[in-house]
Amino acid sequence: MGAAGGTIAPDRILHDMADLWVSLGKQGEGDAGVLRACSMTLVVAAEESDDPQAIGETLAALMPEHPSRAIVIRFRAEDRRSLAARVFAQCWMPFGHRQQICCEQIEITASDASLPDLTAVVLPLTVPDLPVILWCRSPRIFHLPAFPQLAVIAQKVVLDSAAFGDSAAVLGEMSGAAAAGRLLADLSWTRLTRWRELIAQIFENRGQLANLPLVTDIMIAHRAATPTTAYYLAAWLIDGIATTGARPRVQFRSDGGEPAWRLSRVEMRAPGSADAIASIALAERHAAEVRVGGLLNKALLPALTDYALMREELAIPGRDPVFERALAAASKLALS
Amino acid sequence: MPLENPFQDPLRFERRVPECAMVIFGANGDLTKRKLLPALYRLAYERRLDAGFAVLGISRTPMTDDQFREKMLASVKEFLEDSPFDADVWTAFAQGVFYMAGNFDDAALFPALDARLKAIDAARHTGGNVLFYLSAQPSQYIPIAQGIAAANVGKGSGWRRIVIEKPFGHDLASAQTLSAELHSAFEESEVYRIDHYLGKETVQNILALRFGNGIFEPLWNRRYVNHVQITAAESIGVEGRGAYYQEAGALRDMIQNHLSQVMATIAMEPSATFRPDSVRDERSKLLRSIRVMKPDEVLQNTVSGQYGPAHIGGEDFPGFRQETGVKPDAQTDTYAAVTFFVDNWRWAGVPFYLRSGKHLPKRVTEIAIQFNAAPLAIFNSDETTTAPNLLILRIQPEEGISLKFLSKRPGSGMKLRPVSMDFNYGSSFGERSPSAYETLLLDAIIGDATLYTRQDMVEASWAVVDAIQHVWDNTKFDFPNYAAGTWGPKAADDMLARRGHVWRQP
Repeated sequence: MGAAGGTIAPDRILHDMADLWVSLGKQGEGDAGVLRACSMTLVVAAEESDDPQAIGETLAALMPEHPSRAIVIRFRAEDRRSLAARVFAQCWMPFGHRQQICCEQIEITASDASLPDLTAVVLPLTVPDLPVILWCRSPRIFHLPAFPQLAVIAQKVVLDSAAFGDSAAVLGEMSGAAAAGRLLADLSWTRLTRWRELIAQIFENRGQLANLPLVTDIMIAHRAATPTTAYYLAAWLIDGIATTGARPRVQFRSDGGEPAWRLSRVEMRAPGSADAIASIALAERHAAEVRVGGLLNKALLPALTDYALMREELAIPGRDPVFERALAAASKLALS
Repeated sequence: MPLENPFQDPLRFERRVPECAMVIFGANGDLTKRKLLPALYRLAYERRLDAGFAVLGISRTPMTDDQFREKMLASVKEFLEDSPFDADVWTAFAQGVFYMAGNFDDAALFPALDARLKAIDAARHTGGNVLFYLSAQPSQYIPIAQGIAAANVGKGSGWRRIVIEKPFGHDLASAQTLSAELHSAFEESEVYRIDHYLGKETVQNILALRFGNGIFEPLWNRRYVNHVQITAAESIGVEGRGAYYQEAGALRDMIQNHLSQVMATIAMEPSATFRPDSVRDERSKLLRSIRVMKPDEVLQNTVSGQYGPAHIGGEDFPGFRQETGVKPDAQTDTYAAVTFFVDNWRWAGVPFYLRSGKHLPKRVTEIAIQFNAAPLAIFNSDETTTAPNLLILRIQPEEGISLKFLSKRPGSGMKLRPVSMDFNYGSSFGERSPSAYETLLLDAIIGDATLYTRQDMVEASWAVVDAIQHVWDNTKFDFPNYAAGTWGPKAADDMLARRGHVWRQP
């Protein structure tokens, strides 16, 4: 279902969606029909060159857990104003069930010059009473002058600072936006969840918790030029250890290699001890080796696909105070 | 030393568990192999356990630690449902798995256990915390409790808790005796009576549905609810457990514990907080409000059944009395249906029908809340336009919630038809639900007893069930009275018909 060449009318899209549900209902077998599911509006801002199949697959994988009305806006670097749209549905049949579950997807193609017009198009397409999350997949789009007008319709904007290049600059930019009241999420922070969870688990043990004030040195090894993940982890560790009154030093170490954001080792040390109080090192096959108190444990780290990262972020549509604190501290650390 | 772990992130991390060792009595038994070790491995796989977490299995069979690990490895691989197996995770987990052989009647076992726990604590930093799990025969519960008490293993440098499986006695008196023995070694707050039904996601979801939403609670009373049906049906028979089952029966095996706990969750008052004792106080109050039947009321308000032989799908199935180990004249109830009334302001006069049986047409557990009809029928009434509003809470196999209501049929004229609004737990969230044992083991380690049964709750449900069982024990039933593969005896339909109700076919 396409729309007229240079403009699109939200009413027309909504009408097309209503038709879509009627036709899906007719396709349903017997009484089973289709079940419409929706827990949010997910707006995806992507470059036209961004692999449409990869985005489609990510959204399809997200739908069963975060059923959403997805609005994918594909931007073309063009000065002429142009907009086009089509609607379709993502459906799945849960194993062993007779009933299909479907979510709506709207795809809008827009030139950069049309960005100021987009808010008026997207706003009526959002599902009433449910959160709107904007996933911006491109630093270029984020930096378009009219982007804040689009961002204002979303409760939360999801970015990936790893795509921005200069860690200190992007952390400063994000920290400034957060201080101004914008709710942000960063997939580079999401990539740290399993590392942070392993660290938190170490200090659930009261014996280990007693060692925390002794930590004087933190070493974080990463692949290339200090990525935002390393700053985030350092800031979060310092913040946690500071609650005991200690102020550990942080050393970043580059091991080289790709991807740049990947961490390879974290150590927490006390003076006068050959062994680290705790260390986590990346091992083979998405695993991490955790050494603590003379015990070696192995934990699996799930693959960090776009799907896995967004799945976690979409589960937090509101404020994330731990991230907000880490972002502010990481920004200061990166600039120091 | 800091009091709190500063690295917790409740928005993103699962609940973490403190360091501890878990002692399993009956480590060579079916429950350990099928449920406990797979659940513990799964928790390790999900990084939910402390790095030093240790399991110490105890049973009579002589085995080394390595032999026990091999055996448990085979069990985990066989019984790990919908989860991948990872050799590295197992290797790390198995370093904390230990074994000691011993007879639970032997007083020497318990000082040896104490010494072994101290050695494990030194090696694995378990902080002196110990969770004892009785996965042994019920007849062994008291000797184990006595052994723990005599050797003072129930006290230590960390916390000590004990988890016991049902049956919690076979009547009120034996339940009180068992409790007294457990209390010789543990405080009541340290005793965790497990009811795996309460660990199921959908049973927990009843609390979320009732107390997390504002729209249901105003309807949740005698003014709007016509009656409630709670069904737990099994499609299989006793499957070789005939000898055990003929001493228990459906009333004791299901209604005294699982179904009365589910009923309490459905009917309890809102608790002031979600703290364990707050929730359990309300559940307990509800159980104590169930009217205890007088002897002359029992046969009018209950139905005892036993399946007979049947030919289903080209296959012959034996009746209960033809099962191995069952007496040819056994009076055991393989089916039980009861009508309970709750004597409080909210539920006065509303029947709660509970039924459970073996060899019924399908395996299903669900709660159906039937609401009163609209006060005035303004549409042309036929069978469909008078279909009642039903709220169905499905516990297994497809966990979910459905609301049935009437809607206008498209087209001219005002013809109504019932439609269903479905919420399916699995497909709506798409995430793997933890097994009931994963949930409950984690709760016990964390010290959250919300989903565990307390002794006053056990005694309250025994008081209700004993009154029925006593009459049944003194009645000679004309068994078998239902064929395998049917929905139970006709008398159960008659029991509802007397109040103008019919069983829902799940």
